[in-house]
Amino acid sequence: MGTRAVILASLLVACLAQACDGNVLFSSLSRTLVVEASPTAGQVLKSGEDKIKVTWSFNGTYSGKDADYKTVKVKLCYAPVSQKDRGWRKTVDNLKKDKTCPHLIVARPYSSSAPNNSFEWTVTKDIPKATYFIRVYAINASANDVGYGQTTNKNKTTNLFEVDAITGRHTSLDIASVCFSAFSVLSLAGFFIGEKRRAKKSSPPHM
Amino acid sequence: MEIEPPESVVPPPAKFALPVDSEHMATEFRFFSIAKPHMSAFHLSWVSFFTCFVSSFAAPPLIPIIRDDLNLTATDIGNAGIASVSGAVFARLALGAACDVFGPRLASSSLIILTAPAVYFTSIASSPVSFLLVRFFAGFSLATFVSSQFWTSCMFSANLVGTANGLSGGWGNLGGGATQLIMPFVFSVIRDIGAVKFTAWRIAFFIPALLQTVTAFAVLLCGQDLPDGNLQRLHKEGDKPKEDFSKVFYHGISNYRGWILALTYGYCFGVELTVDNIIAEYFYDRFDLKLSTAGIIAATFGLANLFSRPLGGVLSDVVAKRFGMRGRLWTLWTVQTIGGILCVILGRMGSLGASVAVIVAFSIFCQAASGLTYSVVPFVSRRSLGVISGMTGGGGNVGAVVTQLIFFKGSRYSKERGITLMGIMIICCTLPICLIYFPQWGGMLCGPSSNKSFAEEDYYLSEWSSLEKDIGFHHESMKFASNSRSERGKRSVISTTGAASISPSIQV
Repeated sequence: MGTRAVILASLLVACLAQACDGNVLFSSLSRTLVVEASPTAGQVLKSGEDKIKVTWSFNGTYSGKDADYKTVKVKLCYAPVSQKDRGWRKTVDNLKKDKTCPHLIVARPYSSSAPNNSFEWTVTKDIPKATYFIRVYAINASANDVGYGQTTNKNKTTNLFEVDAITGRHTSLDIASVCFSAFSVLSLAGFFIGEKRRAKKSSPPHM
Repeated sequence: MEIEPPESVVPPPAKFALPVDSEHMATEFRFFSIAKPHMSAFHLSWVSFFTCFVSSFAAPPLIPIIRDDLNLTATDIGNAGIASVSGAVFARLALGAACDVFGPRLASSSLIILTAPAVYFTSIASSPVSFLLVRFFAGFSLATFVSSQFWTSCMFSANLVGTANGLSGGWGNLGGGATQLIMPFVFSVIRDIGAVKFTAWRIAFFIPALLQTVTAFAVLLCGQDLPDGNLQRLHKEGDKPKEDFSKVFYHGISNYRGWILALTYGYCFGVELTVDNIIAEYFYDRFDLKLSTAGIIAATFGLANLFSRPLGGVLSDVVAKRFGMRGRLWTLWTVQTIGGILCVILGRMGSLGASVAVIVAFSIFCQAASGLTYSVVPFVSRRSLGVISGMTGGGGNVGAVVTQLIFFKGSRYSKERGITLMGIMIICCTLPICLIYFPQWGGMLCGPSSNKSFAEEDYYLSEWSSLEKDIGFHHESMKFASNSRSERGKRSVISTTGAASISPSIQV
């Protein structure tokens, strides 16, 4: 009994120490924001063309207050299916090391009333092809995350949407690649043929 | 009246810019000269190898962009990395044989031009499979290592060959480090001009591809196979016998020393390739560095080649002056084993500063061992120099493939544990150097054969049949044998004329 208490106490101290250290754990945050986004479940958005509208508001059922929320960061996050076998997108509880949400949509001063609690964003051309959800972090004056909200459930399985990225390929690049390659190979062939011809011309008749 | 050997009856020897020995191989090295044929061959060989290294490892520094564009998984990236070094395993052996038969100029320029399309097509890769294929075919160009070593071995005399090989190999290998700086820079310039990320990396690949094409043409137009001329012309004028590929191949693969060097090279050069592929990620993950910082540390590992590989070659030549071939073998074993010990230590270092210090030391010893290996290779065979160079070079890539497969694929071992285990494997796989034995010079553990009349000529002429000797195909090997007498070390009496005053077995 006594040892369990000691262990729990030390865990608590460790968690608090982490929080004080600036290492906020995601599991310590409460879902204090309600976030809605325009993409429907399974919708495929084209990067560079389609838009996403995100709206956030304070969760009325939550007992705490939003007085210390200073800014919000709206982020585009990878769904588990796009994190599989991709260690650079890994979810880690320590938010400093977490790589789930690398794409910042917008950072805004916090406001829980319209029109400042929504944002329309065109999916930029550097967003890779993957499955996503949206998460909004609430940040206090000391730049620590103190709350969040997201468009999906706890296990990140519902209401996910996809982005169809640009390939980056252009017809001009395709043509240039083919032309340069053909030029290289053909010049080599031309060189060999030229050498053979020159050798035939210059070699004196042999017995 | 002495009947002079037939070589002096042919047209008077061409004037060379550098002092040469009886085979017209240079006995002096002049860095800033580009005089034909020796120094121009040296510069062409290292520059062409450099551009091939830049192309083959152009993808790793841009992987964070490419993996998003092509939707790659960690497995796809790992497989492409293994593919990039596995193509060269057989390409090196094939190119070695091609050098023996066609000459290094044609062999290497053809390979470089034929692999340039793979680099051009990287710009239009659109899936994990196409990415793996372009990396696989572009990796074939790493075989130019063999042609560069072959070329410098043909141009520089025995007392200099370690240095020349070490410099051309080392400065070529530099490409692996330079590309970690070049590609991100080119990418950022193109992106700042206005291209989107996913197009900018594609355009960036045209730079290494164009470099490859240009250097291949330079080799074709300005290079010369041998001090006396190009191979084709020498064949025609009867100065050099046309080689029989199957004989060359047989004499190469039946020489056990080639196999031992192939194994040990896998654990100096192969380890270097493995580290090139994994080290940026290791520092990034273990010490939470920025990608650019991790990239700079990764680049320094490759850039150490500027001096560390040549250092191995120079050290070998210096030791050989006094201790001959036995000294070369002992130095090779010592340097490579120390490299293995440093690798074990690297995996156990927990602080960033200590890790960087250890990795710098490790890079020096690992790359010096590569230089030392190729100071021994030219002496293993004269007739099949290309095949032996190719086998050893191919063995290097096999070592890279095997090491990555065992220790760095998937999550079986953490990277630090993988590095420590790799160090242990280096130490074990370096031991077979003890088994290399030259009857005329000795090996690590035994002195030269007690049969005093067995000389260098006997060793090198054993590669020619008596029929071939009757026709006179073996004269070049004879000259080499006489010039290699310096491998006996200080105890030998080397006559100033280079004629064999010791061995009575010379036939005129």
